[in-house]
Amino acid sequence: MPLILIGILAVLVIWVFTTYNFFVSSRARIKAAVQEIGNQLKRQADLIPNLESSTKGYLKHEKKIFADLTDARRAIASAVKSGDVQKMADAGSQLASILPSIRVAVEDNPELKASEVVTKLMDELRDTADKVMYARRLVIDLTADFNVKRVSVPSNIVANIFKFIELPGLITPEKGEHVEVGSGETKTPKVNLE
Amino acid sequence: MINVYEAASANKRKSAVIIVLFIIFVTVSVYILSQAMGVYFGYEPGGLGAAGIALIISGFMSFGSYYYSDKIVLSISGAKEADRNEFFNFYTAAENLAIGGGLPKPKLYVIDDSAPNAFATGRDPEHAVICATTGLIAKLNKSELEGVIAHELSHIKNYDIRLMSIVSVLVGTIALLADFFLRMSFHGGRRDRKSGQLGAVILVLGLIFAIASPIIAQLIQLAVSRRREFFADAHAIAFTRQPSGLISALNKISADHEPLEAANKATAHLYIANPFKDKIKSSVSWFSNLFNTHPPIEERIAALEKMA
Repeated sequence: MPLILIGILAVLVIWVFTTYNFFVSSRARIKAAVQEIGNQLKRQADLIPNLESSTKGYLKHEKKIFADLTDARRAIASAVKSGDVQKMADAGSQLASILPSIRVAVEDNPELKASEVVTKLMDELRDTADKVMYARRLVIDLTADFNVKRVSVPSNIVANIFKFIELPGLITPEKGEHVEVGSGETKTPKVNLE
Repeated sequence: MINVYEAASANKRKSAVIIVLFIIFVTVSVYILSQAMGVYFGYEPGGLGAAGIALIISGFMSFGSYYYSDKIVLSISGAKEADRNEFFNFYTAAENLAIGGGLPKPKLYVIDDSAPNAFATGRDPEHAVICATTGLIAKLNKSELEGVIAHELSHIKNYDIRLMSIVSVLVGTIALLADFFLRMSFHGGRRDRKSGQLGAVILVLGLIFAIASPIIAQLIQLAVSRRREFFADAHAIAFTRQPSGLISALNKISADHEPLEAANKATAHLYIANPFKDKIKSSVSWFSNLFNTHPPIEERIAALEKMA
């Protein structure tokens, strides 16, 4: 009889250890994933001087784009240094908002469009934007796993004993125009292919 | 319409059920075969020693192929390492999805063949390899390629290669045990074996199992393989967050009737679609599908479209 009780106790203790390990290792993984975002952002920012040098000759009049690019690079550098995931997400979005105008400027300029170097650079830029997106997704997924386990039975027992708090992940405002669909958006758009 | 998480959990549950049934079947088979051998040779508890030997032999045979699976499969298939500049879409899609999945980037290889197909191998995520044919890279667009790579990454992340290796070790054990039993029956046993009604029944059962269980074990192994394919499809959607890429890729792959030259029976199960394009649409197709390492593509597409 006491052997059975010891057996049950052993299983319980192992379960507590396993669940606790999940929480703390999850936290460490999330931290690493945040650093990954910084890593990818830095890579993106490092491509910008290349882009500037190969296109500056042709895009002399697009002064605003280059000024914006310099600002974005500075924002990324300071965000990565701070290690704050929210700052990094914002800096990433800042750069991402400039990319469309760069693309348009390149497409409008026939010499740039034909240049293999510039085409490759644009491909690399788009790839780095993808990488930032995936790095952010990883943070979101890991945080979701953590938060789900934190509130599910029976792992929430361990969470409450060791006081694990809910992690914010990437903060997206839960109210705002990106989660609302305007009445105009529900109508099928008319595409004019002239 | 089901969401990605439900699809993945449903698949996990179903594969757990199959694996549990498989373990029960293996245990029963080993027990009966051992008991039958024991009756035959006149001692109890039976030929458990023989079972142990069979397990060890089967384990050794499979261990090398599992541990070095990446090198072996690559050398059989004639693959060469993928150059980032030459295969930019393939390379970057694999890199990016690995980041998104929290996995180290797998080694990437390319097979020069116009038949579209891809496979993944490797004993764990740190030693993982994804290989695609030049046909696949040429025929699929970026989002379809991402779907296929996500499917392969799911196999890696879920340790499917390890699972299938363990399953094949167990199948091999049963095949060997059955083989021992049948051979020993021909060579004759000890004169003073325990006879009697129970002994006779066990002997008969042993004979039935010796003949039937290797086939049944193989069928279960193929069922496990099919269930893991469904699971990898569902998990791939968790990576890419949209089913349309993989659905469209599967459509394109199934429409292409060219068989893959580099594949052979031993590596067929690793590919994303059965490289031997035998589509048997007749009344015996249900039966022949039991021997398929992959579920029929129509079923896979239907399962994915439920999530779309």
